[in-house]
Amino acid sequence: MEWVDAADPRPTFTMVLDCELLLGELYGIYNVPTVIWVDEDDRIARPPVIAPGDDMFRDFTNIDSSVHHDQLRAWVHTGALPPASDREHVMLPTDDEQLARLERRVGAFLARAGNGEAAELHFARAAELAPMDWTIRRGTLPLRGDDPFGEKFFAFMGEWAAAGHPGYGSADPNAPT
Amino acid sequence: MTALTFLDAEHGNRPASGRTDGDRVLLDASSMTSLTGWELKPEGLCRGDVCVPVRDPELTVDDAIDAARFAAALGRPAVVDAAAGVVAIGEPSSERRGPIEAGLAPDFTLPQLDGRSFTFSSLGKRKKLLLAWSSW
Repeated sequence: MEWVDAADPRPTFTMVLDCELLLGELYGIYNVPTVIWVDEDDRIARPPVIAPGDDMFRDFTNIDSSVHHDQLRAWVHTGALPPASDREHVMLPTDDEQLARLERRVGAFLARAGNGEAAELHFARAAELAPMDWTIRRGTLPLRGDDPFGEKFFAFMGEWAAAGHPGYGSADPNAPT
Repeated sequence: MTALTFLDAEHGNRPASGRTDGDRVLLDASSMTSLTGWELKPEGLCRGDVCVPVRDPELTVDDAIDAARFAAALGRPAVVDAAAGVVAIGEPSSERRGPIEAGLAPDFTLPQLDGRSFTFSSLGKRKKLLLAWSSW
């Protein structure tokens, strides 16, 4: 909320709060900022893609925000989609990921209730079940009293890279780079 | 009576009525029905026109339903923390995969910043950009 309140001018688009990460479960979101294009018939025109709004962290992400912006404008104005080779693959949830989301949900509830010790057990299980899910690995760091830009995040980045993922990006191992 | 909490993706955390017994969480049948929509009937667990036969003799204890066995009977993932009095029941991956595989954008309802509910489908027939962001 503090980030929204600090925005000037305040955004005019609809904003919703998703404390239980429902959208992650429904759409297969594993990291942020993630963007999904939905057409007039409520079909997914473009599956989840990592798309920073600007180039503030470009040195870190290696993502040029103007590429997505240009593709988005083209789709809005003409309906043209990027070539298939530039689009991400749909990530389908697995049983382990669904269970990991439950473990994260229980851990988050317990952490917010001040029961950090019990929460930690659930966060650890969630990480074992979905080791490459940023919403679990990085997203739980503040709830665990850790810095999401600190040592544990960069340790996770090391695991991410060792698993063959290029830079900051999609959990899709075959995502375009 | 033990203070119990039930968690799911659509509603967040809600209080539940029941008790714990060792590592089991036993929810009052009426509480389970109000939380999940599933009701235990002679023909099985039923919601609307759908009934799932249940042959687990340990599903119920007196007037209560074992949360883990309830989830297992319906093929749903569950996390039960009896020590903390928390139950989370989710959707099976097969149910979440269906719309994604079909290329459909699942509808959802979530609270806006002022607390009012917002339903995605209310945007109607136009192109929509869904952006997920977190300050971490």
